Amino acid sequence: MATLLDIVTTAAILFAVSAGLLIVFGVMKIINFAHGGFLTVGGYSALAVTKLGWNPWFSLAFAFVIGGVCGMIIERLVVRPLYSRPLDAILATWGLGIIIGQGITLAFGREVQFVQSPVSGAVDIAGGSYSEYRLLLVGIAIVLAIVLGLALNATRLGLVTRAVIMNENLAKGLGINSGLVRFGTFSLGAGLASLAGALITPLSSVDPNMGVPWLVNAFMLVMVSGVSLVSLGVACLVLGGAQVLVSSWGNPILGGLTIVVLAALVLRFRPQGFARD
Amino acid sequence: MAVSPEAVSVPVGAGRAAKSDLRKLGIIVAIALVLVAVGPWVLPTYMVNSLIRAFLYAAVALTVDILWGYTGILTFGQSAFFGIGAYAVGLIFTHVGYGPGYATLAFFAAVVGAMIVAAVVGWLAFYHGASPLYGSVVTLVLPIVVSQILYSGGNFTGSSSGLSGFESFDVSIEAWFWIAGVFLILLTALAWIFVRSDAGKVLVAIRENEQRCEYVGINVSRVKILLMIVCAAVAAVAGYLFAGVQMVVAPEYAGFVFGTELLIWVALGGRGSLIGPVLGTLVLDVSTSYLSGNLPFVWKLIIGIAFVVVIVALPRGLMPLITGAFRRLLGRGKEVRAESAPTLAAATEQPFAGLQGGGAQALAVSGVRKHFGSLVVLDGIDFSAQRGELLSLVGPNGAGKTTLMRCIADGGERSGGTVRVNDHDIGRLPPYACVAFGVGRKFQNANVFETLSVAEALRIARSRLVRPSLSQHSTTLELPEVALQVIRATGLDRDLQREVRQLSHGEKQALELAMVLALEPSVLLLDEPTAGLTKSERTLIGGILVDLAQRHRLCILLVEHDLDFVREISSRVIVMHQGKIVLDGTVDDVVNSELVRTIYAGGAAQAAA
Repeated sequence: MATLLDIVTTAAILFAVSAGLLIVFGVMKIINFAHGGFLTVGGYSALAVTKLGWNPWFSLAFAFVIGGVCGMIIERLVVRPLYSRPLDAILATWGLGIIIGQGITLAFGREVQFVQSPVSGAVDIAGGSYSEYRLLLVGIAIVLAIVLGLALNATRLGLVTRAVIMNENLAKGLGINSGLVRFGTFSLGAGLASLAGALITPLSSVDPNMGVPWLVNAFMLVMVSGVSLVSLGVACLVLGGAQVLVSSWGNPILGGLTIVVLAALVLRFRPQGFARD
Repeated sequence: MAVSPEAVSVPVGAGRAAKSDLRKLGIIVAIALVLVAVGPWVLPTYMVNSLIRAFLYAAVALTVDILWGYTGILTFGQSAFFGIGAYAVGLIFTHVGYGPGYATLAFFAAVVGAMIVAAVVGWLAFYHGASPLYGSVVTLVLPIVVSQILYSGGNFTGSSSGLSGFESFDVSIEAWFWIAGVFLILLTALAWIFVRSDAGKVLVAIRENEQRCEYVGINVSRVKILLMIVCAAVAAVAGYLFAGVQMVVAPEYAGFVFGTELLIWVALGGRGSLIGPVLGTLVLDVSTSYLSGNLPFVWKLIIGIAFVVVIVALPRGLMPLITGAFRRLLGRGKEVRAESAPTLAAATEQPFAGLQGGGAQALAVSGVRKHFGSLVVLDGIDFSAQRGELLSLVGPNGAGKTTLMRCIADGGERSGGTVRVNDHDIGRLPPYACVAFGVGRKFQNANVFETLSVAEALRIARSRLVRPSLSQHSTTLELPEVALQVIRATGLDRDLQREVRQLSHGEKQALELAMVLALEPSVLLLDEPTAGLTKSERTLIGGILVDLAQRHRLCILLVEHDLDFVREISSRVIVMHQGKIVLDGTVDDVVNSELVRTIYAGGAAQAAA
């Protein structure tokens, strides 16, 4: 039972962490390697909220706004010239990640710090106790998935965005301002990453490089998911589940490799990954 | 092989140019060797130590430049091979023992181990049809896996603290400086010769247009895997030396962050310039070791900002800026293309190279089907064609003509049925293998190598039949008579040194046709070869095609919309409509057919009404 809960909560965390990257990749066809940096920004936003003594719940909204603003600035300055050079975009956004990490180091120091959790304690489930916050994350991830799904599929903005995803040139020809769609998407992706950073910090701690390991896993999950939120959910459950199993029955370090190795193999034999054809 | 009478006059003796290039290289190498020789005597010890490390990093950066700058493979993984080389030393010297025998053993373990890993990674990353992004994904996974394995190795690998304090070579620090310096200089010189050779141009061709490479018969996957293996071996040797001199190894040296650091050095120095990445690495690594003490975070921040600025605004890195400034200083105008035009010559023709006999039937297509999901594009196509036939495929847009071409040139395309070229079943073979059966395909839009010169592009097309040299830049260009004809008729023979991207649309079309003919195909697939050409260019191409079919006995399959053009040159016409062949006959049959008129006039449904 505990293992099952671990699988579900791990999948939820992975989903929350990867969603922003997926949105950006889906619309813009570029990999945002600054995603790890945005996660870190979220973590430190939560830290700032803790230090100011505000309500820890407020850190979620705060992180989303801070991340979104960072995303807006970066899209204008750095990402925009790179739309036609996707591999260069990976590198430039990785450089941005370095800049963000160093900026945070200069501002907050490089030591590991801790953030107050909005919920603490455990609940009793099926004879054992389980972290209340991890369970809460499952709910948050589901809400996130529903909100994003509805926004994409049931609003006019979502329709425009999907048009850009499918055929950007045609969308442009129809008078859609695809530059604005990209701007909005990148900012949203950054905001989501930052929100996810704030969500995961109560589980561990913050340090200026906290984003990198998450970035790698999120990147691999997005690669196997194509551009669909549903397949991202499936990928998080399957690969995150495998990670939990390998970590608990094998060795935690191998567990840390599970997602990247399995994802690379899945793509080798099924290039579309978990997405339907 | 006779040099053709109209051989292009060569402004500077090509041989002389190559020699003067080599002389220049010799002088630079000599200067560098002198600098390395005196280095340990004039530089402070700390600087000497930093430079030894930087020399070895620069050697790895050089492999990153070959893979990424020249071939277009964005790799995060060269650090893993460096780590493998370093750990071969650390593990063997720590656990087995130290001595000349063990040192040799460690060397072979490093090189062979890295090559095996590279072969596996290459197989995974560069399978036929893999996207460039997937290749990068795999090279990203590699260092993560290697460093995590090292972390989890317990006492054996020393886990996170790595291995240190093992006995190592009894060599003075000055000698290490010379070893590492000479290693880097020789490696750079070899790489310089290689990238300028005919084989080196193949790498650029792959970066520019992988698809066209496949369709001129180059097994791109194999080239990439071999390159990966060689680059891995070089990085492993650098790692071996590194562990030998530092007497410490740690998982970080095999990790992903070091892999990205290599990319940063290469990008800042200037990808695709060899010397840029080497100097970039030396300058950045040495300044890091000096500055990271005083301004640890700020320095890394500055590097990060510089990296982003270079990627966004100066994709070629800082090197061109520096060399440009030098040129201006020396008053030597703009960069000129160093290579002079090669002499054109007629090649000894070897049609059906590698095939047993010409085959009775040039092309046999039976029951070929192609569907995308539920959409049927080709529905049971049957026809055959003989040598000497000029067969035109006509039909409205969406009839499946281009798809049919694709199914003949790439075994992986069709959903059902068989295609036989010169009596060889193409099975599921990729395009380069179909080229070996005699297929030559010209695409609808001129599909060429934009940054190569005309001569280089033609030589790439010959590389299937003439193995490109790994060290020489050839001074003659041998082409089959038919390809020469096209080049001369269109005046491209006067533009052999021009970059392809400067050519007009018509010239590009002609170049691609010449490239395809340079393959010495027996089945020629041409997709709208005259689209966008002027009337006189059309007549010219038409004449050449008729000549190819009649005199050179090629089997030509032509997709064409211009029915007048079709009528003038074809010996037979196939009409396609909605994925089926509706008529297969002579030009007269088609011209007089009511059916064809209805199809072109707006569909059978309208005719029935």
